[in-house]
Amino acid sequence: MNSMANDVLVIGAGLAGLTTAWQASRHGKGVRVIAKGWGATHWHAGCVDVLGYWPVDSETPATNPAATLPDLLAANPQHPYALVGLARLAAALGGLQHLCSDAGYPLVGSLDKNWRLPTAVGAARPTCLAPATMIAGDLDDDTPMLLVGFKQLPDFYAHLAADNLVQQGIPARHVVLDLPALAGRNFTTAVNLARFMQQSDFRAAVAQAVKPHLGKAARVGFPAVLGLEEATAVHQDLQVQLGRPVFEIPGLPPSVAGMRLHRILKAAIEKNGGQVHEGMEAIGFAADGGRVTAVHTETSGRPRQHRYEQIVLATGGILGGGIVTNHAGEVCEVVFNLPLRHPENRLEWFRRDFLDKQGHPIYRSGVSVNENFQPMDGRVLYQNLYAAGSTLAGFEAIRERSFDGVALATGYAVGNLVSN
Amino acid sequence: MRTMETEVLVIGGGATGTGVIADLALRGFRCALVEKRDLAHGTTGRYHGLLHSGGRYAVKDPKAATECIEENVILRRIMPHCIEDTGGFFVVTPWDDDAFGDRFMQGCRDTAVPCEEISIAQMLREEPHLNPEISRCFRVPDGSADSFLATQSVAALAQAHGAQILHYYEVKHLIRQGDRVVGALCYDLVKDEEVAIQADLVVNAAGAWAGKIAHTAEVEVNVRAGKGTMIAASYRIVNTVVNRCKMPADGDIIVPVHTVSIIGTTDEAVPDPEHFAIEPWEVQLMMQEAAKIVPGWRDLRMLRCWGGVRPLYQETKVADTRDVTRAYTLLDHETRDGVAGFITITGGKWTTYRQMAQVTVDRVCEKLGTVRPCTTHETVVPNPFEQGHGRKHHNLGQRLADVEEKEAFGQLICECELATRAHVEHAIIQGEAKTIDDVRRDVRVGMGPCQGGFCTYRVAAIWHELKKPPIEETNVTLRDFLQERWKGLMPILWGPQLKQERLDELIYLSVLNADHLPGPRASRLGPAMYEPGTAWESEHAHV
Repeated sequence: MNSMANDVLVIGAGLAGLTTAWQASRHGKGVRVIAKGWGATHWHAGCVDVLGYWPVDSETPATNPAATLPDLLAANPQHPYALVGLARLAAALGGLQHLCSDAGYPLVGSLDKNWRLPTAVGAARPTCLAPATMIAGDLDDDTPMLLVGFKQLPDFYAHLAADNLVQQGIPARHVVLDLPALAGRNFTTAVNLARFMQQSDFRAAVAQAVKPHLGKAARVGFPAVLGLEEATAVHQDLQVQLGRPVFEIPGLPPSVAGMRLHRILKAAIEKNGGQVHEGMEAIGFAADGGRVTAVHTETSGRPRQHRYEQIVLATGGILGGGIVTNHAGEVCEVVFNLPLRHPENRLEWFRRDFLDKQGHPIYRSGVSVNENFQPMDGRVLYQNLYAAGSTLAGFEAIRERSFDGVALATGYAVGNLVSN
Repeated sequence: MRTMETEVLVIGGGATGTGVIADLALRGFRCALVEKRDLAHGTTGRYHGLLHSGGRYAVKDPKAATECIEENVILRRIMPHCIEDTGGFFVVTPWDDDAFGDRFMQGCRDTAVPCEEISIAQMLREEPHLNPEISRCFRVPDGSADSFLATQSVAALAQAHGAQILHYYEVKHLIRQGDRVVGALCYDLVKDEEVAIQADLVVNAAGAWAGKIAHTAEVEVNVRAGKGTMIAASYRIVNTVVNRCKMPADGDIIVPVHTVSIIGTTDEAVPDPEHFAIEPWEVQLMMQEAAKIVPGWRDLRMLRCWGGVRPLYQETKVADTRDVTRAYTLLDHETRDGVAGFITITGGKWTTYRQMAQVTVDRVCEKLGTVRPCTTHETVVPNPFEQGHGRKHHNLGQRLADVEEKEAFGQLICECELATRAHVEHAIIQGEAKTIDDVRRDVRVGMGPCQGGFCTYRVAAIWHELKKPPIEETNVTLRDFLQERWKGLMPILWGPQLKQERLDELIYLSVLNADHLPGPRASRLGPAMYEPGTAWESEHAHV
C-alpha cells in the first residue's frame, strides 16, 4: 500500500506528532503517523503559546518570550526548551508561519512579542503566534469593540467577556444574535457554526444583524467560528461587510482554530507523501538489540506490525493519554512502558487549590530524554526511539502557557533529527 | 444591626430542620429557619442517598429498623418525586458469614421489614455486575433518595405555608436572658451583617453542629461527629441498592443515585464537623470493599469523593461511633438543663426526618401550650421545580424524556446531567442561589464526568446575565465553583478523571485565562477544603 520507504513512524497526531511528521516528510522521509485520535489542537485556542507567564506565579504576562526564556532555562535546565535551544525554537515558529502562510492562513507574531488577546471570559491571554483572524482583538489597542454572540451557541458568552474587558479599560459592548437559520437546531457547536459561516447568505445575515449595533465600535469580535477550511475568506468578507476589523475569540472546545492548524499540518504531510492514520492505537511493540523493531496497533483478529527505522513517541502527557495513572498510584507511559519522572507519593500529586500558581506536580510527569530526545534511564533505552511534546518530563505547559510552543519546537527538532 | 422576630426559630437547614419548619408551618406557627450555608449543605447533602428499608438495622438496632420501614412507606407516599424505587439487596459475599443470612431474615420478620430470599440466578439477571461468588441474596424495599431535592421541596412546602427560610445565616450565638433562650444572633454571610432574631422558642436542629450551637447558650449537648467517606463512580453499575449481609461495617453498601453509583462508607470519630481529612486509607478501603460486591469496580471511573458527618448523640463517652444508637434524640433543655425556650433534636437519619420533626413539633406545641395535630404524614410535598408529575417515583430517564419532549437539546447547559438553561435560570432566580454550588444542589450541574469543565463557564455567564452583579463577583463565583469541584476530586484523582481535570485546567487557565481575571481568587462563600490527608494505613483498614 505504501511505495515510500518505512523511515519514520510517529505515534500521536497532536501538534508535536504532526510537526515531527511534517519535518521528516519535508526532508523526503517516508513517514506514517498513527494515532488513537486527534490531539489537543482540537481543545486548545488554535494559537502558538510559547511562554505566557514566567515566573509562573507572575500576575502579569511575559511581554517578550525571547527575553524571558533565558530566565526560564536558568531556573529549569531540564525544560524541553533547554534541549531545543532558542534558535531551533525560533526556526520552528518561522517554519510553521511559512507553512500556514502558504496555506493561505497566516499566523502573525514573533518570538520577541506576546500578543494579549481577549478570551471568552474577557481575560487577556498571552500568546506568541496567533492567526490573522484573531489579531484585531489585540488588547494593547484600546479602541472600542463590539462582541457578537449567538443565542444558540452555548460555548461563548459575549456579555461576560465584554464586562470583563470594560473592567480592564477596554471599551466593549455586546450583542447576541438570534438568527432564523439557527433557530430550531438541536445542537449548535463551534464546528457546525463554522460551516454555516462558510455560506455567503448566512454571513450576509450575520452582517445584517450586527450592523445596527456597530455604533462607535472600531472592531468586531466573534467566537472563533469564522469558517473551517475557508477561514481567511470568511474573515475578510465579514471585515468588508462590516467595514471594520473583525477578530475571533476562542471559546470552549472543540476548537475550530485548532482544527485549522491540524488540517494544514496533515495536508502538508500528505502532500509530502506521508500518511496520517487516526483511529489506530499503538498497543505494544517489539524490540531487539536495543532497537524498536515494530510497533503494534490493534486491528480485528490480530495486532498489526509497523516496522520502521525510526520511531517517535508523541502521544502526549496525562492530557493526551500518553501517560496514564491508576488507583494504586502507578504512573505509566502507554506504548513502551518507559521509565517516567513523576512524584513518588500520591499525596504529593496535587496542591490544595485548583488554580494553584505552581500547578499540580503530577502533571509534570514525563519521559526523561537526552539532548537527542532519546528516552533515557541512565542510558539510551532504544537507539531508534525519540520522544516529543507533552510526553516529555519537567515542565508545566499550562501554568507556563507553553503548551503549543513545546510541542511545536520539540516536534520540529525531532523531525529534523530523524531526517539526518 | 438588623432585628427580626418570630414565634419559633429553627436552626439548621438539613433534612431535620426543614422537616421541623414544614411541620411547624403546617400546624400554623409563625416560624423561621436559619442555615449557615445553602439548604442541605451539611450532612443531608453528603450522605449516600439511601432510603432505608430498615434492613441495615434489622439485626443490630431493631427499634431503628421499625422506624425506618414505617417512614419508608410514608415518604414514598408524600414525596415520590424525590425517591427512586430501586429496591435493595442484602448479599452474602465470600467474605461474609453464610449463617448471618438466617439472623437477617429473622430480624426482618421481627421488625416488619419486608424481605424475601431470591436465587443467585435471579439476582444476576437483575444485576449482572454483582459478584457471581455471592451465595445468598435477600430483597428488601430500599430505595435511593435525592436529598437535595427533598430538602428543597420540604422547604418550599414550609414557605408556601408562611415560613421564612434564611440561608447563608450563620448563628454566632444563642441569646440568653436569665434561664431562657430568647433568640439567636446571626451573621448574614451574603450581606456581611449581623441580624438578631428573637423567638419564643428555639429548635436546635443543627445536626453534627448541635453541640456547638447549644454550647453558645451554656448548655452541654454531646454530639459526636462520625465522619463517613463516600465515593461516586461515574456509572450506574447497579440499579438496585446493594448491601453486604453482615453487621454494618465500612464500605458495605452501593447506592445508585441519578447517574452515579456511590460506595459508602467509613465511620471515624472526628473532633470537629468542619475540619477533617479524607484519608488515603479510607479511599483504598472503599475501593477494595466495593470490588467485593462488584468485581472490576477499581477499573471504573471515579468521579468524586466526599465526607459527611453523622450526628451521634451520646450522654456518655462511647469509643466506636457505630455502636451509638441511630435512633434520634429529643432534648428539652428546660427539664434537662433548666434552660427554657430551647429544645434540641439530633441523631437519626434522613429516612426518619419526618418522624423526628413530628415529635419535635409535638413538644413545641406542649411548650407553647397549644394542641395542633401533625399532618405531615398525609401532606404530599410538591416538587418545586416541575409541575404535573403526579405521584410517580423519580426515574433516571425522566430528564431525558423531558428534554426530548420539549426539544430542549440546544438549551443544555450541563450535558452530563442534562440540565437545561431553564433549570439553571430557575435555580438562580427562584432558588435564590448565592453560589454556583447552590445551583448544583438544585439542578445537578457540574456533577457528571466533566465535573464542571464545560458548564461552569456557561452557568457563570447566565448568572452574570440574570443577576448583573459587579463583574469581579461573577469572576470569584466562577473560581469558587472550580475550587468546590476540585475539593472532592483530589482524593480520587487518577485514570480518566485525572485526564479530564487536565482538560478542565486547559480550558480555565489556558483557553480562558480565568485565573487572571479581575477580582479576588476566592470568596467567603467558597468551599471549606478538607484537611490534607496523611495516613495511608489505619487499624480499621484491613488492606
